Amino acid sequence: MSDSFRQCAGRKVVSRTSAQALGTVTHLLVDAPGRQVAAVIVGKGKKARLVDWSALSGFGPDAVMVGDDSALRPPADDRELDGANGKLELVGKRVLTERGNELGSLADVSFDPATGALETLRVGDREIPADTLLGSGSYAVIVDDSQEAQAQPA
Amino acid sequence: MTLLVNASQITGLPVVTVYGGDDVAEVRDVVYSPGAGRLVGLTLNKRGFLAGRRREVLPAEAIHAIGRDAVMVSDESSLVLPEDAPDDVAHPDADRNVVGDDVLTEGGVSLGTVRDLALLVGGTGEVVGYQIDKPGGGQGYIPLPAQLAVSGSALVVPDITEEFVRDDLVGLGAAVDEFRARLGLR
Repeated sequence: MSDSFRQCAGRKVVSRTSAQALGTVTHLLVDAPGRQVAAVIVGKGKKARLVDWSALSGFGPDAVMVGDDSALRPPADDRELDGANGKLELVGKRVLTERGNELGSLADVSFDPATGALETLRVGDREIPADTLLGSGSYAVIVDDSQEAQAQPA
Repeated sequence: MTLLVNASQITGLPVVTVYGGDDVAEVRDVVYSPGAGRLVGLTLNKRGFLAGRRREVLPAEAIHAIGRDAVMVSDESSLVLPEDAPDDVAHPDADRNVVGDDVLTEGGVSLGTVRDLALLVGGTGEVVGYQIDKPGGGQGYIPLPAQLAVSGSALVVPDITEEFVRDDLVGLGAAVDEFRARLGLR
């Protein structure tokens, strides 16, 4: 069963030890070369915290479980800070091919909740395999040449 | 997908890193070598409203691709300071600008004046022709490589170029291969 970035936004993050809700999922930070969810961003703005994918005890359909509140950590570098500030959110970002042609904006991303592996990127009504993903940043999500035929004519 | 665009359509495009997904600059101007008939690089502005010029330049060799919506580079290290860049990008010849030059055939017929460059994008931006203002009014396109000599005020092209003046970029695209074949270039 796969999950998606849009579906998981707003999901509770719960401590397995105390059963307390620690916050909600704002969005997910990806490792583009690894085609993998790198971390879950919990909360917004200055209060935003990260949970590394490896620190999760389970990414469930109703709640995201962590061991305890020590799994939540502040952003450690500029990229994570950008992530916490929402600049790296994938959904809604423009999608460019590596040749510099735009495909549209990213509607959603599906992933395997058991492993965090990205599965497909949805752009408009097209599903693009996640293994075409080359990079993602503050301006755009970049996919490889194989999607070039789909680029809109000028 | 490759397509032909005017060089002026490239100015203002964002420069985006393939592996970072960030817009690190935008295109200020196209640096073109009329002698070699090729794009040698791009000068850059900072991104954002009224952000001003960036000192770094982007040599053609460091361009991953030029597309319709962005110029792609591997990462920000592709942008180099002028002192580290090839001389023709960092210090372009004063007469590199062919815009406004008179286009004369070897037989002495004026085809018009250069208005813009026509670039093949999708790769690294090969210059394949010029957009010209025709002497009788209106615009047209002529294919390259065609010029034999550039002076800074005029360029001289083979007589057969006159047969290959086209009305639009689509026509130019179709004409380039035939033109080059006629000149024995491929």
